[in-house]
Order: sequence, then C-alpha cells, then structure tokens
Amino acid sequence: MTAAAVPAGAVPGAPVGIVGLGLTTMSLEPGGAPGDLAAQAVTAALADAGLTKRDVDGLLVNTSQGVRPDRLSVALARQIGLGDLRLLEHLEIKGATTVAMVARAVLAIRAGMAETVVCVFADAPLQPGGSAGSTYAHSGGSDGVRGLERASGVLGSVPTYALMAARYLHVTGGNPDDLCAVAVSTRAWAVHNPDAVVRTPLDAEGYRASRMISTPLRVLDCARPVNGAAAVVVSGRPGRGGHPPVHVLGMGFDHPVRRRRAGTESWFGGGRRAADDALAMAGRRPADVGVRELYDPFSVVTLCLLEEYGFCAPGTAGAVARSGALGPGGDLPTNTGGGQLSGFYLQGMTPLVEAVVQLRGTGGARQVPGVTTAFVGGIGGRIDHHAALVLDREAA
Amino acid sequence: MTTTATDLARADWLLAPGLAPNAADAVLAPLYAGAARGELVLPSCGACGLALELEQRACDRCDSADVVWAAVAPTGEVHSATTVHRRERGLVLATEPYPVVDVELASGHRLVMTTLAPRASAPAIGEAVRIGFRSVGGVAVPAAELAAAEIRPVHPSDTEVTP
Ligand SMILES: [Zn+2]
Repeated sequence: MTAAAVPAGAVPGAPVGIVGLGLTTMSLEPGGAPGDLAAQAVTAALADAGLTKRDVDGLLVNTSQGVRPDRLSVALARQIGLGDLRLLEHLEIKGATTVAMVARAVLAIRAGMAETVVCVFADAPLQPGGSAGSTYAHSGGSDGVRGLERASGVLGSVPTYALMAARYLHVTGGNPDDLCAVAVSTRAWAVHNPDAVVRTPLDAEGYRASRMISTPLRVLDCARPVNGAAAVVVSGRPGRGGHPPVHVLGMGFDHPVRRRRAGTESWFGGGRRAADDALAMAGRRPADVGVRELYDPFSVVTLCLLEEYGFCAPGTAGAVARSGALGPGGDLPTNTGGGQLSGFYLQGMTPLVEAVVQLRGTGGARQVPGVTTAFVGGIGGRIDHHAALVLDREAA
Repeated sequence: MTTTATDLARADWLLAPGLAPNAADAVLAPLYAGAARGELVLPSCGACGLALELEQRACDRCDSADVVWAAVAPTGEVHSATTVHRRERGLVLATEPYPVVDVELASGHRLVMTTLAPRASAPAIGEAVRIGFRSVGGVAVPAAELAAAEIRPVHPSDTEVTP
C-alpha cells in the first residue's frame, strides 16, 4: 500500500486494529431496550480498550430492522455521553452491516478522518407476551412481495431459508445429515464458550429429536435470537487494554444479483468477490486462515458460505461438515464460539467478536491453537449482501 | 380448474383474513386484479419479453424501462419446496403442517406460494404444477395445484407456538 495519499494526522502504513471489545449479557428473556444495551456494550468496549469516551471521535450504529420501532440511531451518540464526533453514521446493508461498519471505520481512519471509532450493534427481539419466532411471524406487513409471501404462509424468515436449504441439498445431492453435522459441530464449540446461550452437548440423535420448523430445518438449524449488544473499538493507535493487537488487514464486499427466473439458481450462490478481495488486500490465501467465523442464521448458510468463499469446493461442504472438520480438533475450525446457532444471534457481531477472541488467544477451552489469521464473513438479505474481513494478530 | 366468486368468498384453508395482502399495492396491484379474474398476471419486459421479477423496474437484459404486466400460462414446476410445521397462533388456521412451494412457471417467472388445498407434505422438486387461486381476507392470491394432490385426514390440533 502506498503512503502517498495518507493525510496529515494518520500514521502512514500503520495498521488499523480492533483494540476494544464489549458485550452485554446475552439474554434469552425479554427485557432491555436497544439503546440501553448499546450503551452498556460501548462502555464495556472502551473499558476493554483502556480508553475513555474522550478518546472516541467516531461512532457507527446499526440495528436489526423491522422487528422493533425503537431502533438505534445517530442520536445514540448524545444519549450515551459522547462528545463532538468527526464520524457519526447509521449504516444499513441488512445483516451485513455490522461487518461493513468495521470496514467503514478502517477506511475513515486510514483517510485521516477519524482516529478511534466505536461500532455498536444492539437487538432486543424478545418481548413480553411472545417468543422471538412469534415476533418475527407477525412482522413484515402486507405490502410488496413480502405481503404476497406472507399471504402464502411465508411467516418469519424460516420458511424462506427452508426453501434455500431444500434447493441447496437438491443441487448438491446432500441430505439433512449435512445440516445435522453443522448443528452438532457448532454446538461442540458453544459448550466451551461462556457467552454462548446454549451450551448443552448435542449429538445427531439429539438433533433429530429436535422440533421441525420448516423442512428440512429443525429448531436446532436456526439461530438463537437474544436481547443483547456488542461493540468494538477500531483505532489507528494501539489500545491501552493490554491485549495483543488485532489488525484489520483485508476488507471486501460483494452484492450479487441472483435473478428469480428460470435458468439460474435463485436461492444461493454469489459473494465470492467479498472473500477474494479481503484475502487479496491482506496478502493471505484461504489456507492461511486459522478460523472461519461466518454469519450463520441457519445451518445451511454455513455450508453455502464455506463453498462460496473458497474454503470448500462447490458441493462438498456437507461432506466436509460430516467429517467433523468444522468442529473442535478439525482441520477447518468454523464458528468457534458456537456461531449464531448455539452462541447468540447478534448479526455480524457474532462472527466478529469470536474472531477477536481467537486472535487474542482468550478463547479458553475453545481456543484454536496457533491462530494468527481469522476470516469474518457477514451476510444480509437472503445471502444478497456480503461483507468480509481478514483479521490478523501480526502486523502486515 | 377455474376460480369462481364463490371460491373467493370462502374462508382460506390456511391463513387468517388479517394476512390479506394489500390489493392496491403500488407494484403488485395488477397481479391481485388479475388473480381476482382467475388470471396469473406477471411482469415482463415490453421490449425484449424477458420475465421480470415482481419489483423490477427496468430490464436487466436490454435496459428497457417498459414493464408490461400480462397474463401468463398458469403452469409450471416445483423449483423448491418446504413443509412448514411452525404455525403461529392467530395467523395460521390450519391444524397440520402446510407446504410452501417456489414455482418456476412456464413463462420463466418464479413465484412462492402455498397449495390450493391442504397437503401432508411438500411436493418434490420438478413436480408439475398448475396455478389456481386462494382467497385471503377477500384478496385472491396464486396457489399451486399439484397433479397428484394429497388431501390430509383431519387430526387434532398440535399447533406450535414457539420457534
Ligand atoms: Zn428487455
């Protein structure tokens, strides 16, 4: 990278890093407004970084769409006592936003337009009087394509991803055992993650006994919504929290258009450029990646993304999962904190947080030995938007 | 199979009337108006004839912004399918799991719908489909009629309320 265009104030060529990480309790019970949860996560992230609010000159916010009216906005900055900021934005690329926020922060810092930026995500879909599934089933409205789909029984997001899963298994010649293998390996990681909300061991028999939601997806193929928040501090200066540096070496995006018409796959495929660009910017190959942290709202998405991002050959991710490679001790450690399936569903914060933990080496019993490079993949829409990061504990 | 006014007045087998789509929707109104007449009306490119997505405003093949909504042949095949077991109380009236089918129409369009009648399991990918219409809260919407429709026996309700 050339330093010629770096403005005054930025350190030419200095890597930008994630220097702080803050989580709230991940709750399976109703309670907590997104703003309050976000404030807690920001406070925790700054404490983790050894910084104060006076050190912050940027805030990026993002919150789940649709389910609640009281979403985070740029007003959060004044609500939580931040001072005059240079960078303050609400980003929206659906579920890919959280990962995109980190890229946005890095670009601003590299351009000399901010020095220390907090990125926060909060969600509170669990509300009194109904499960998260119930909340999602009631949301969506009667307008547009969504209104027509809802009038056809497509309530919540599970039937849609079930159509994706059914099609994916049909095209790849797979079967529900492929999905089972993902659920089981992801749970095996969660067992050792104190922040995971589901930590009871799971085997194939337990998976097959779990409730069917929409064939072929069982309840254990679906993410666990939580009320909670997570924040990261991105900075061009080293943190003062005593943690090993976690540098953002690569960033990539892709927004593939899969047409819903004959002659093409409508439900999956596309997004490879996000991974390729992030790896190329980082000067890394897929084989250099020690842990893959992927946005996994449903088990089938893990399989799709492993293939799409080049970690498995097309059509082979199911067999790779069944071999145990994704789980503890495997050759392809993936979603090492339990992902969204067993850990917690905080959109892109779920994979991002776990990547930072692994690179810091603070994963405890779930720590993958010798990790120096982590890949973070975030998606949005129906796998329509991809945002990828390559994080590294070594300077470039 | 033709859809009559009597069919549309009858309560839907699957969903509560509150899930009626907005028949005056800015984009999908032609589809609903056609469905009320028993016709499957979908958008295509006025210049090159390409089958367009429901919310598409310009053709991705020839760049024309001439979007024409017209009746297409009500036939197709199953592109993907699922049997939905989770039934949200108050929204889903059916007491048994129900199918949701992504239909690839002979016209080239793909459209997600449920079936015209209750059915125990999702149809197989590739199975032939004919399009009929259900009524949800008085609004006609496309529904898949399968060659070998299987009518479910009635069982006691085991409605699930949690995800
Ligand atoms: Zn055209």
